[in-house]
Amino acid sequence: MKQVGAVLRDYLVLVMILGLALLTAIVQPKFISPANLVNIMRQFGPLILVSLGMTFVIIGGFIDLSVAGTINLVAVVTISLIGPLGQTGALVTGLVLGSVCGAINAVLILTAGAITQAEALFITFGMSTFYSSIALIYTGGSTYHFWDLKKSPDMFLAIGSGSIGVLSVSFVIFLVALAILWVFHTKTAAGRAISLTGGNKTAARLAGVPVSRSIVLIYTIAGFMAALGAIVLFSRITTAAPVIGAGFETNAILSVVVGGTTLKGGKGSVLRTVMGVLLVILLNNTLDLLGVSSYMQWAARGAILVFAIWLDNRKEVQGNQL
Amino acid sequence: MNRLYRLFVQQKALVAIAVILAVMAFSGTEFFSAYNLLDMLNSSTILIILGLGVTLTVIAGGCDLSIGGILVVSGILSIQLQNYVPLPVALVLAVLSGTLVGFVNGFLVVHQKTEPFIITLGMGLLLTGVAQQLSDAHPVPATNPDFMNISNGYQFGDGMFTDGQFPGIPNLVIIMVVCFVFFAWLMRYTAFGRNLYAIGGDYDVARYSGINVITNKWMTLVISGTMAALGGVLLSSKLNTGSAIYGDFTALVVNCGVVVGGTSFAGGVGGIPQSVLGLLLFGMLDNAMNMLSIPSWYQTMLKGAVIVAILWLDSYTQKRKRETV
Amino acid sequence: MDATGSEYILSIKDVTKSFPGVKALGGVSIDVKRGMVHGVVGENGAGKSTLMKILSGVYKKDTGTIIFDGQTIEHTTPHESMLRGLAIIYQELNLVNSMSVGENIFLGRFKEMKGMHGTHTKARALLDSIGCKVSTTKLVSELSVSNKQMVEIAKALSFQSKLIIMDEPSTSLTSEEMALLVKIIHQLKDQGISIIYISHKLDEIFDFCDIVTVMRDGKVIDTKPKTEFTRDELITKMVGRTIENEYPERPRNPGENLMEVKGLNTRKLHDIQFHLRRGEILGLVGLVGAGRTEIVRAIFGADKVHGHQVTIRGKAVTIRNPKDAKDAGLGLIPEDRKLQGLVLPFSVEHNISMASIDRFTRFGFVRRSLEKGIGARQVQSLKIKTPNTKIAIKNLSGGNQQKCIVGRWLEIGPSIFIMDEPTKGIDVGAKYEIYVLMKEIAEKGGAVILISSELPEVLHMSNRVLTISDGRITGEFDPEHESADTIMRAALGLGGAS
Repeated sequence: MKQVGAVLRDYLVLVMILGLALLTAIVQPKFISPANLVNIMRQFGPLILVSLGMTFVIIGGFIDLSVAGTINLVAVVTISLIGPLGQTGALVTGLVLGSVCGAINAVLILTAGAITQAEALFITFGMSTFYSSIALIYTGGSTYHFWDLKKSPDMFLAIGSGSIGVLSVSFVIFLVALAILWVFHTKTAAGRAISLTGGNKTAARLAGVPVSRSIVLIYTIAGFMAALGAIVLFSRITTAAPVIGAGFETNAILSVVVGGTTLKGGKGSVLRTVMGVLLVILLNNTLDLLGVSSYMQWAARGAILVFAIWLDNRKEVQGNQL
Repeated sequence: MNRLYRLFVQQKALVAIAVILAVMAFSGTEFFSAYNLLDMLNSSTILIILGLGVTLTVIAGGCDLSIGGILVVSGILSIQLQNYVPLPVALVLAVLSGTLVGFVNGFLVVHQKTEPFIITLGMGLLLTGVAQQLSDAHPVPATNPDFMNISNGYQFGDGMFTDGQFPGIPNLVIIMVVCFVFFAWLMRYTAFGRNLYAIGGDYDVARYSGINVITNKWMTLVISGTMAALGGVLLSSKLNTGSAIYGDFTALVVNCGVVVGGTSFAGGVGGIPQSVLGLLLFGMLDNAMNMLSIPSWYQTMLKGAVIVAILWLDSYTQKRKRETV
Repeated sequence: MDATGSEYILSIKDVTKSFPGVKALGGVSIDVKRGMVHGVVGENGAGKSTLMKILSGVYKKDTGTIIFDGQTIEHTTPHESMLRGLAIIYQELNLVNSMSVGENIFLGRFKEMKGMHGTHTKARALLDSIGCKVSTTKLVSELSVSNKQMVEIAKALSFQSKLIIMDEPSTSLTSEEMALLVKIIHQLKDQGISIIYISHKLDEIFDFCDIVTVMRDGKVIDTKPKTEFTRDELITKMVGRTIENEYPERPRNPGENLMEVKGLNTRKLHDIQFHLRRGEILGLVGLVGAGRTEIVRAIFGADKVHGHQVTIRGKAVTIRNPKDAKDAGLGLIPEDRKLQGLVLPFSVEHNISMASIDRFTRFGFVRRSLEKGIGARQVQSLKIKTPNTKIAIKNLSGGNQQKCIVGRWLEIGPSIFIMDEPTKGIDVGAKYEIYVLMKEIAEKGGAVILISSELPEVLHMSNRVLTISDGRITGEFDPEHESADTIMRAALGLGGAS
């Protein structure tokens, strides 16, 4: 019986997704309309990319609340550089910038000797404010638009709204990123080092696993993915306000935790995060279709986050009763 | 050299305040005018009221990041409920909303043994969403002059600085002082307060000494929630509006102010006077930056940098205490 | 004698206690007479602290009866125990470091003492009664160990304790401080308080204890008035046992120097210098806290230490972190396997392969087939009891978990294998297997540094023994030809150079 419970818990998310989809389809037939499905697929872009990056930080035993700030900063800087550096130059700069923001987090955490998730939480929360205010200062409060640019940024437009065959470009980007990250996590030594670091930092260190390097890696990945998410985001809506990243950290953490990756670190998977994001997006979609206000959606997400954390904790507590 | 370092670390707030005072002394602004000092005190009061409750949670070894969310919900409720019930009832209900949330927080953190940092964060986000829903994301204006007078009124005067007459003491300051005295007394002279120090200092030793660690820690979150709600009511009164936007940054600033004053996240150290000092620092920082006409985004950036620096230092001093890396 | 007519303040009968995989107490019976100082001696692992923790309520006994002051005690909590009049002063000290002396004495009784003023006044009176001059407002963190003990004694007195148990109180005391403690013990005895005094130090036992109990391997060996014991008899009963087939033979013919360590100084260690030969097992003997683990952690790069020199096979090596140590051919079985050795939620396979990831990586990619081979290999060669290598390591018994950690390092084949309490919490059969392993490592041309609090283990396995006391090396011995007593004395810092 206990085993059935364990299996159910593992696949709970999948079950919930299917259940929710089914329920929504019955209650609100618009759910299965092509327009809505396309809408769902499009929403996958930015959130899933950021969440994939967040997955690594959490597997590594830490947390990153700075993604909102990173997104803000990368979005406005990248758009502003399309003119001077050209599209490719701006793209690369944006990605590098995001990675640097992430690396700075790691350096701060390492030099402070922070070993708990709580310490990382506060430090990255502070950095989010810092990065966000730089974004605001950089733009002077204004929003950048594609239509202000001399030449229409076709590459970015393609990223945001283009298609390759039947799939949207952003979906393809997501698939490529997922594949790379999954392989990295499960098949490389560096990925293994990250998992071990999250599993037991002390034991990993004593076994010669490169713990400090892993910590730098997880935050850099998170920063890079946040940058990628930012680019997809502003490419889609063709504008970048310096507050464009608001709320991403919450949704990302929510997606990761709901997907089944434990906040305690060590165990987890990017595939689970994909399911988590799917559930969050479906939930948003359902609530939208049912006419629930966006604020209540926010509240609902907060409630689910609290519930998911509590559930995650229960699993651990029970798991240790051996 | 070591003594100087220890002094700097233990009295971070005093050192920082000294720095600000020194800088402002040469700034040629009206910083040291009676008007400004009073204004500065006035604007720190809400932070301090919030900080009083948070201090309890931190001393007991936890924290409360949901205060921002509690603040905005109660602030909005305090105005909206006036449409349905008399003013005093509306105020009490608004404050009780915080008590209720604190109770739930206590359940999750203490009874269910969940990590306080992240779960109170989640709670805060939930409440911010609720606040936005309640207010439809628009500031809710207050219309009742009695309500507005709560925070904006003065005793023994009318708040004017004409002809060098005594301007009186703002109600907010009086409320804050009363709360401060109560909490300072609570932490220093009651069994409850002293037990919190024990719980934060060494959970097991406290437990072995027969202290009811669960109930006491639970209470800290209930109190923190109540104070956050009180702060929300007072803030709405002061600004004459209830708005959902004040939540985000507040939790971070208050928890940090408490730490900078000397109440470490490690638990068991610090106190009410220290926390107040730390929060005054932030109030002073805000005021000084305004006086120096620093644009608001630079202010936020500077504050963010200060917060990170403080937290970094807090972790670093913990690391030095540990023998191994 | 007291009102209930009982001669004994404490009667323990046939108390047993087991933890998963280990039997800590196998039927302990002791009777403690009122108003006596009752000494308890025994090795680390003899079961003394387990017994004390059962008395104070931290652990629950499995079977047996405990009668304290005429009352039969079933399960109790530490607080209830104190209220009944049974106080324990632990070696680790049960004080809140961030609070003041006075508040610690009356922790949880603030209201009873009528606030700060009452607390400090009564604390002052208690401290004065035992001649302690420490200010009651001082923070405990600023006190010396001796003064911290005084605070604990004052705390016990504040509960009107009838029995005070002191667990290895003299470990960190100077001789003056010890004299003060002895004076207080006599004072307490005069007041009619019974004392149980747990210690390694035979001088103390013979100095002021009235009755002595010897414990070994979770059992009581003997209880007699101290006058009926001789020193040698005491030591023999502490350490001696039939040891014919418990240990394999020592490795033979240690060779030339494999490693040399010079000039190791830290906050705790003073001028540590030693060498390690090929083919030998070097034992480090000392009390808990003497510095043995600090030494090996420093060499292994687990702690940030510099200024010392390490030479391996004649070449100087710089070891700044465990990875450097690994590359230099060192391996470490850490002291606390749960906190420092195991990644509990991970599989047996992953735990074993953790240190040799380089070996099954090609171009940065992990080769699962090679990794599987590693897991299977070690499980087989170490006879690790596990249904398969995929299950989470937390499901294995302590002994098998330890074997996995050993296997982790065997896979790399370090030439210098440091083992810190390798057989802690492991059953006898598994212990033997690990001993054989140690011997094999030495005989294949490597060397083993063995830290163990079980004296017989160290003495029987080591070719050479270094005694560590108070952060210093106090002696070097050949356990095959020196008596355990001599070595013990050096380990206790009682003199006895090589």
